Amino acid sequence: MSRFTLFGAAFAAALATAGLVTQFGLGGSDKVQIGDGSVSALKRAARAGDALPRSILAYPFAERNFASPDGRGSRVLSVHGSLTLFAVPGKAGMVCLIETDSIAETAGGACADRSVLKTGTIYMADRQEDGSLQVAGLVGDGHTFAEANGRRTAVENNSFLLAQVEGTDLSIGSPTATQQIDLGG
Amino acid sequence: MLAAAIVVFVAMAAVPAAGAFQTQVYVWQANVAPNVANLGWDGPHNHFYNELYFGPNAGWRSEVWEVTPAGYRHFDKSCVGNCFNSHPAYYYATAFCANRDSGPHFVYECLDRW
Repeated sequence: MSRFTLFGAAFAAALATAGLVTQFGLGGSDKVQIGDGSVSALKRAARAGDALPRSILAYPFAERNFASPDGRGSRVLSVHGSLTLFAVPGKAGMVCLIETDSIAETAGGACADRSVLKTGTIYMADRQEDGSLQVAGLVGDGHTFAEANGRRTAVENNSFLLAQVEGTDLSIGSPTATQQIDLGG
Repeated sequence: MLAAAIVVFVAMAAVPAAGAFQTQVYVWQANVAPNVANLGWDGPHNHFYNELYFGPNAGWRSEVWEVTPAGYRHFDKSCVGNCFNSHPAYYYATAFCANRDSGPHFVYECLDRW
């Protein structure tokens, strides 16, 4: 067998191995992947109340992050008393989670690359006066729960809310897989 | 009569219009090391808005918060990606922002309003 043939065979074998590694997600990040980052809640028909409050649209955050300066395409994900969670299409592949609290007169937002949703969540964690965290999160399709401190809550329209979270560990997942999220210090 | 008009004009110009606010950009287009508390250089104010903007590719943790002169921390919000926190102007405090990833990131700006 000529050296040329041997080189060709070795090259073909290397290509095939590389293809398999890529196909099965081996050799890259060790993070667990759930879904493909899609957010079905953003695709449903618009309803009354899906539009973001004008006060949110007036902030520089809106113009910089939202795909449309008027927040077009926003959807209410869930309502928890006076707190409402919205998803908003973002610029350049981003997706945003927005929260408004009508009683506390607060609002907040987080926008990140949609790829984050494959291996985690786009969340906001607010430190409360008692030191605990209130964590609101946006997750991709396929996620069914979020859990912290042994308390589990169901994902509702790609969103979850966990109150009284102590520590920095959060997990989210589906019936077949779980992702660990570090909330930081 | 003219003098009185001038006095009235100057007085009106010196008083901010109702609803007016001040904006301070306290980080501007800088590479920011992880877990460094970047603070508003203009000192404490009764803020109602604090924002960190990395850029359109953000996908790591961030934080914005405020600290009173007595050292009490308020309106502390951690996020994934670009982040803002809007709230009543309860506290006379200094605004902070931080990159909470494990490595440095370019921050387009951190800004606060009061």
